[in-house]
Order: sequence, then C-alpha cells, then structure tokens
Amino acid sequence: MNKFLREAKLWLIAIPILLWTLLPIYHIFLFSISSKDSAFSGALWPDHPTLRNFGTVFRQEHFYLHHFWEQIWNSLWIAVAVGVITLFIATCAAFAISRLKVRGGRTVMNAALFTYFIPAAFLAVPMYKAMGTYGLLNSRWSLVLAMVTLASPYAIWVLKQASDKLPWELDEAARIDGATPLQLFRLVYLPLMMPSLVAIGTYALLLAWNEYLYAFLLLSHENTIPLAVGLGHFLASDDSPWELLMATALIYALPPAAIYYAFRRYMVGGLTVGAVKG
Amino acid sequence: MAGVSFREVVKTFGKTRVLHGISLDITDGEFVVLVGPSGCGKSTLLRMLAGLEDITGGTIAIDGRVVNDVDSKDRDIAMVFQSYALYPHMTVRDNMGFSLKLRNEKQALIDQRVATAAKILNLEPYLGRYPRELSGGQRQRVAMGRAIVRDPKVFLFDEPLSNLDAKLRVAMRTEIKALHQRLKTTTVYVTHDQIEAMTMADRIAVMNEGRIEQLGRPLELYDRPANLFVAQFIGSPAMNIFDGVVQSGAVEALGVRWPANGGASDGQRVRYGIRPEHLEPASAGIPAEVVVVEPMGAETEIVAKVGDAPITVMMRGRSNAGPGERIHLAPQAAHAHLFDAASGIRI
Repeated sequence: MNKFLREAKLWLIAIPILLWTLLPIYHIFLFSISSKDSAFSGALWPDHPTLRNFGTVFRQEHFYLHHFWEQIWNSLWIAVAVGVITLFIATCAAFAISRLKVRGGRTVMNAALFTYFIPAAFLAVPMYKAMGTYGLLNSRWSLVLAMVTLASPYAIWVLKQASDKLPWELDEAARIDGATPLQLFRLVYLPLMMPSLVAIGTYALLLAWNEYLYAFLLLSHENTIPLAVGLGHFLASDDSPWELLMATALIYALPPAAIYYAFRRYMVGGLTVGAVKG
Repeated sequence: MAGVSFREVVKTFGKTRVLHGISLDITDGEFVVLVGPSGCGKSTLLRMLAGLEDITGGTIAIDGRVVNDVDSKDRDIAMVFQSYALYPHMTVRDNMGFSLKLRNEKQALIDQRVATAAKILNLEPYLGRYPRELSGGQRQRVAMGRAIVRDPKVFLFDEPLSNLDAKLRVAMRTEIKALHQRLKTTTVYVTHDQIEAMTMADRIAVMNEGRIEQLGRPLELYDRPANLFVAQFIGSPAMNIFDGVVQSGAVEALGVRWPANGGASDGQRVRYGIRPEHLEPASAGIPAEVVVVEPMGAETEIVAKVGDAPITVMMRGRSNAGPGERIHLAPQAAHAHLFDAASGIRI
C-alpha cells in the first residue's frame, strides 16, 4: 500500500512535468504538419496533416530557407569543432592539474571557473570587440573560439573531478612499468576517462549547437550563420511562415535529441561524477 | 638480482621529518620485511626505493648504483601495490605485458614471458579476462605476474595482502614465499602485520617513528628484542610487561617475585617482560585470578589478574579453569626479558 502511495505521488509530480515539457514540442510538431491555413486553427490535430512543409524545407523553396543546407552544415561544423577543441583543452588541462599536479594548476582552474560569475551576455560585447580586432568577425572560427571559451571552464572542472577519482596507484604502477607522461595519458588515462570525455564532448557540442546570442552577434552573413540564427530571421517579417519555421525547428532539434539518446548512459554518470567528491 | 643499500636516508614532508637517517643493507636474493605500525615510515621508505618519493637526504643504491636521481622506470624494480593497481581496461594478458610493450619488446618475447609468469602463478585460464572479472586473490596474483614478467633486480611489495580475507592471506603468504624461493629475487616487503613479517622474512626491520628499532632474523627479534617497542610489537599475543625492581636475581613486581636471568643490579628499576607462551599454569607459583578463558583447540589463551594487572597466558592443550578461579603461574626464567625502566633498552 505504501509502495503504491509512493508511486502515485511520483506519478502526480511526473505527469505535469512531462506535459509541461512535451507541450511545446507537440506544438512544434503540430505546426510542422499543418498547412499554412490550418496552422492557427487551434485544433489538437490538423484536419489534413501533411509532410509538405518538410519537403519545402529540404528543397529550400522559400525565401528564408535559401541557405538551409548551408546553415545546418555551419551548425554542425561549429558544434563539432567546439566539441573537439573543448574536449582537447579540457582533457589536457584536467590531466595536468589532477594527475601531473602542475604547480598553480588549481589556481588556473579556479580562475577559469570564476569567469562564470560574469553572465555570458555581458561578455558578448567585449567578445565582439576582440573578434573584430583579430579580424575574425563573420568567420565560423569566431563563434567556435567564443563557445570554447564559454564551455572550457566547466569542462575542465568536471574532468578534473573525474580524474581525481582515478586511483593514484595506477599512475605509479604505469611509471614503474616505464610509461612516460604522454604514454600514461594515452594508454591509461584516456581509456579510463572515456565516459566523462563522451559526456563533456556532448555537452560542449550541444552548447554550441543551441547557441543563439553569440552566433547572432559574431556572424551576420547568410552563408556563415548557423541554422539557429537562420530560424530567427523567420520572425523578421509580419507574415512569418510559421509552419515552415516549426518544420525547420523540428529538424534542428533532432540531432541533439539523437546524440543525447545515444550517449544517455554517459551523460548522467559523466556529468554527475564531479558533483560529490568521493 | 642485486643488493639494495640505504645510507642515512632522510625524508621530510614540509617541516615534518618522517625518516631520520635510515641505514640498511639488503643482500642479493634476500627477503627483507619492513614492519611497523601505521605512520612509522615503512611505506615511505619503500616508495623512495621505488622512485615514487623524492629522497630528502642520504643515498639509496641498487646493485651498487646510487639511484637518488634515477627515474622509477630506470631502476629495474617492480612493485606490487596494496590495491593491486591493475589497469581496469586491459585484460590480464595486457596488464602483465604492459611494461614490456612500453619497452618496445617483440610480441613473441612478451607472449613468452607472460605465458611463463601465468604458468608459475596458475593464471593461464584467466589471461583473457579483465580485472573486474577476477577474485581478490586472482587480482593479487596478476599484480605479482606483472612484476615477474619484467624480471627486475628487486621486487617491492607494499602491504600486498591487506585487502584479502584472512584465509586467502595465509594462502598468498605461502605463495609469495614459494615464489621468492623459486626466483631468488631480492625482495623488500612492507607490512604492518607482524605475523606476515615473521613467517616470510629472511630478516625483519622493525620500524617506529621513522627509525629502525631492530634489524634481525625473525626468531632473533622474538627471542632477544632490543627494546620494549620490538618486544611488544613482535609476538602474538603481545608480551606481558610490567614495572618492577631487581632484588637478588629476581624481579619484585605486582607484589610478587618473578624469576629472571640477566645482568641487572640489585635495586635497579626495570620493566619485566614475559611472553604469554612462557607462562604456564602450575600447582605452585605466582597466584592469579582467571578473568577470561579462550580455548583455540591446540592452545588455550587465559587472561588472568596478578594484583590488578591483566596477564595473558598461552598454554598448550586445554584448560579446565573458569572465570574467577584462582590459579598459579610458573614463568620460565630463561625466557624472561628485562628492559631498563627509563630507556626501554634491553638489559
């Protein structure tokens, strides 16, 4: 009986949360399979559901969609670059701080974390100025560098916490076995850190994929902007093609969902590893 | 194979000095056990020999070569850790061959060395398994296998049996000793368990607070402990020790006379030590009151009170005595130990 009550309470909380989360997504889905006329009808299911909107998007048959493929490629390029570079920086930093005990390593990490006290929005203008100085404005690299800057401190912190949990004797055993620091990194550290690396790589990748503000600021050319900014352009006119906007949004939301689903095992374990110091 | 020599080795952590000038010579092929309570510096000394800790002062030499500034990997040593320290993502075969792989040895040689070690340690059926698929004892054997494969000059063991249950510990003790007798590689073994030390060592160094209290063969330490610390540390159950005064060849303590042999002069204040197995219940002798009787089959441990002091007695066979009963104890004078009351040094 007690178990039943406990379960019932859980369901009472879970169902509203689930509805709250799924409703907007359902809304997007509903719009994307409706024709332009019926999109705003208010019905829970369109009278004549259609996949034509997706066809329009894929064939880039609308003014706002002329660069669809180019922009989704930009999104992908930027996200993967951010994921890879963040992972490289954070892994090396975590290894150096946690395993090689580099002098001042902890201070550097704490200083990097300290930057989170300043909201990313405040940093946008200085970042814009900096990228302008280096002549990177309107290059995908500007967004990549900005996102790596934003993602790295957290990534270093999580990986450092995860590194701290690896038994110290493994390093010592490897040293006695004759491993150089680089061999230790490659042959012992990286394989054992894999779950955390997958989690952090995914985190950085999704952060960049979902970024709007910096992308909007640093990139302005139709050929260089990621799809997130491209979607924003839909709202520039009074008569926005909502059904196409939502169809594009749905397509845009699929890769992160797929990635998250594929790596869900690592995401929970990998990101919470730093939560409690063991 | 090689000898190891420590010369006035000092270690400090910040302002804390943990080793105060250790000198110790280990001969080629010898099995030396460093034993002592936690924090005595035994593991630090071993780790300094392994190259895992810097040497603050003095020198450490392996096979006549001073290794103070030599990297761990170039010292030609192999170490077995308390936690086994097996690489979790590698199979037993890869764990054992890892050091050879790092040395870029030929695969054929690696395979052959691993196979030999696996045969010695009965690990052949497990070569394809991962450490998580092995029991504690098997993991310990893999750790030893990893050491054997390298064919080092010196084996280092850092409390290798502490994580095993009591039964397995006894079995592994025998295995390590048999392994040493077979390979005859110089071995330095650290433990806090004096029984491990007694049963395995050629020589034992008893350490306390960063110093070697006594170095000697196991039975030397047992029969003639150099001071109170060694007397109490070696032997289980521990030696009975109490204060007394020497009077005409015997010791006046706890209100009775205890037979002694030794060079103490009359009136000298001493600490009198007698091992539980050198006290026997008898028809006449020192009167005592039984507190607890612990039968162990072949032997019986009796805790009795002489005056107010508890005395442990270990007798062969069985005892009919019960708690509260009065018995008499006969100490064997030849096995009595006298220590200076002030310095604790053997008289």
